[in-house]
Amino acid sequence: MRCGRIRNGENLFRHCIHPISFRGPRFAPEKIIKIEERDGFLLASLAWERFVPTSKFVHDYGCRLAFGMNNRDRAAARYKEKNRKIYCGAYQLRADAVRALAAIEGIATADVVHHVEMGEIAHVDVRIVLRPGADLDAENTKTAIVDRLWNACRGPLRHVCSCEAATSPHPSAALITGPQGKYSDNRPSLLRLWSILRFYVCVFLCQRSLKDGQQ
Amino acid sequence: MLKLPVDIYLQPVAVIATSEWRTAPPSEGQFAEASGAFRRLDSGVPGPAFENLPSAQIVRSAFSSIPIVWQLEFAQEYRGLGEALGQMVDVGEGSDWQIELPVYGAACFVAAGLMANLYPAPRVFGHGPKSVVFNWSQGADNLYLTVSADRVSALVSTPERIQKRVEFSEKDLLNPGFFLSAVQSARLAQPVQLQLKSSVPDPMVPVD
Repeated sequence: MRCGRIRNGENLFRHCIHPISFRGPRFAPEKIIKIEERDGFLLASLAWERFVPTSKFVHDYGCRLAFGMNNRDRAAARYKEKNRKIYCGAYQLRADAVRALAAIEGIATADVVHHVEMGEIAHVDVRIVLRPGADLDAENTKTAIVDRLWNACRGPLRHVCSCEAATSPHPSAALITGPQGKYSDNRPSLLRLWSILRFYVCVFLCQRSLKDGQQ
Repeated sequence: MLKLPVDIYLQPVAVIATSEWRTAPPSEGQFAEASGAFRRLDSGVPGPAFENLPSAQIVRSAFSSIPIVWQLEFAQEYRGLGEALGQMVDVGEGSDWQIELPVYGAACFVAAGLMANLYPAPRVFGHGPKSVVFNWSQGADNLYLTVSADRVSALVSTPERIQKRVEFSEKDLLNPGFFLSAVQSARLAQPVQLQLKSSVPDPMVPVD
């Protein structure tokens, strides 16, 4: 069973964290995707449904994400209670929407690649290579990427983590419907069950391959 | 490197007094002289008959034509934009979100041009240290101005596709009117109509 290749029709999720994707109390969709430059790529992070096969797994990932950010802020002595990171929910998009970014002028390749990061087995990299020598503003190309990825989003899948149950009003209420409409997991129960079984097999295979890599 | 102003100064906005209208509606001539607020479509179309209108109607029309609230909101929105840009440069040494000082200078310069030309204050976000993005939306359509230290790029998009990308050089940055005309041509960020003349329906329709 191949766990590394992400096919075009597969679902990916982008998690929303308050206050990163917000402007004050309002959700700011243009801030949903953060693009970094690293190793010659433009990079962004998503989560792959293969390893977050149900909404519970999607939200568990988001809660761990916010928890990890707060811990890193504490470790760096920059944690402020009023700016603590709160997971609010996720938007769904498909792998082909990421690969379609290659059609943007100035982009040579765009792909989505499974890449375990900080112990998160569901983490995938959006990897974009700019066309060498293109006389286009790379910063404007980043804007185009953010715009296209948001326009490919469906959702939100709102969530309140148990550790934030007392937060009122919870910022998840401010999430807006994605440009592609609402998301509902309409997979038949058998397919969902198959996804969960596949998830456990893939986790086992990935952990084994990571272990082999360390030896 | 291009040296650009780094501060935005708010200019005072004149507010035209209206209290005297409450008691004595001005004649048509006085009105036109005062502000050019009411004008005829052409010489064959009669102007508003002030004598026949109850004073309450005149007061309501006059108040709706004076954009005091708009001016306050407009100034507040740009003050908010200035603060947001300030936070982006002061976010903390080494932060992924911190923008470089020349980018901050260029962004302030562009923001000042937008404000001087009465464009509604944009939303702002960033991609990292090298740029600031100004954004307006109209429905699901978006206009972005990506401002780097030495260039400005415009991008117009609909949910289906990117419609237009325009890039402006360092030289164009010194002439905000040049790229602002491109912004206007995108028809997503029209200048706010603050002038009294433009905010009155033409011809005037009495308010019940």
